[in-house]
Amino acid sequence: MSRELFLGRLRSGLAGLPPETISDFVADYAAHFDEGVAAGRSESDVAAGLGDPARLARELKAEAGLKRWEAERNPSAAAGAIFAVLGLGVVDVLILLPILLPILGTLLGFAIASVVGFGAGAFVFVIGAFAGVARDVAAAMLAGLGVMAGFVSLGALTALVTIGLVNALVWYGRLHLKLLKPALEGGEVRS
Amino acid sequence: MPEAVQVQLKRGVLELCVLALLSRADAYAYDIAARLAVAIDMGEGTIYPLMRRMQSDGLVDTYLVESPSGPPRKYYRLTPVGRTSLSAQKAEWTSFSAAVGVILGDEK
Repeated sequence: MSRELFLGRLRSGLAGLPPETISDFVADYAAHFDEGVAAGRSESDVAAGLGDPARLARELKAEAGLKRWEAERNPSAAAGAIFAVLGLGVVDVLILLPILLPILGTLLGFAIASVVGFGAGAFVFVIGAFAGVARDVAAAMLAGLGVMAGFVSLGALTALVTIGLVNALVWYGRLHLKLLKPALEGGEVRS
Repeated sequence: MPEAVQVQLKRGVLELCVLALLSRADAYAYDIAARLAVAIDMGEGTIYPLMRRMQSDGLVDTYLVESPSGPPRKYYRLTPVGRTSLSAQKAEWTSFSAAVGVILGDEK
C-alpha cells in the first residue's frame, strides 16, 4: 500500500471527527512515513508495518470519543462515546441492544414524565385555585410547588442514572481498549 | 492458539515497555515504534493511539525538536505521574512474572 492510499484510508476512517483532530492524527502517520522513508524503507514496507488503516482509525476515533465525553458531559458527547465504543466491536451490539434499548426507553420515559409532571405542577400553581383543583390560592400554590419539586428531583435522578450508565459503558470500552485493542502485528485474535 | 496467547501477553505490557523506554531517554514516536517493533514484534501503528492515550492520561508530555532532515520531531518524555506509574507497573510485572515462573518451574 502506498503512503497516499494509507493516509487516504485513515482520513476517510476518521470522518466525523473535528477537522483539526483529523489533521493531527494524519500528521502523526505522515511523519512516520517520512521517517521510515528517510531510514531507507519503502512506502509499502512502512505501510505494512503500521497495520490496517481502517482499524487504526476506529481505535483513534474511539479514544477521541471517550475523551470528549470525559471533558463535556452532554447528550451529544454521550451518544458519541456510546457509538465509539460500539464501533470498536468490543461490545457485541446484538447482545447489548436488547439490554440497552429498554433501559434507554425507560430513562427517556422518566425524562418526559419529569417535564410533563413539572408542567402539571406549574398549572396547579398558577390556576389551580380557579380550576377547582384546590380550595384557595395559597393551597394551590403550595400544592403546585410540591408537585414541581417532586418532578424536578425525578428529572435529576434520571440524569444521574443516565450519566452513570454511560460512564459504565465508557469504562467497559476503555478496559477493552487498553487490554485488547492495541493492534499488534496480525491484529485480530486468532482462535 | 499459542499465537493468540502471545498477542494477548504483548498487548498487556505495551504501555509498560513504552514507559521503560522513555525512562532511559526521551524519544520520538517513530523511534519508539521501530525499537518496539524489533524487540517484541508489534505493529508500529499501535504506538500512536497508545501515545495519545498516555498523553491524555498525563503519563507523558511532548516537546518539539528540530530535525536534521525534514520537519521538527515531536519528542515524548515521562511526567512525574508517568514515573510513578512505571515503578508501580514494574513492581506488579516483576512479582507477577516471578509467580508465574514458580508455577511453571514446579510443573517440570
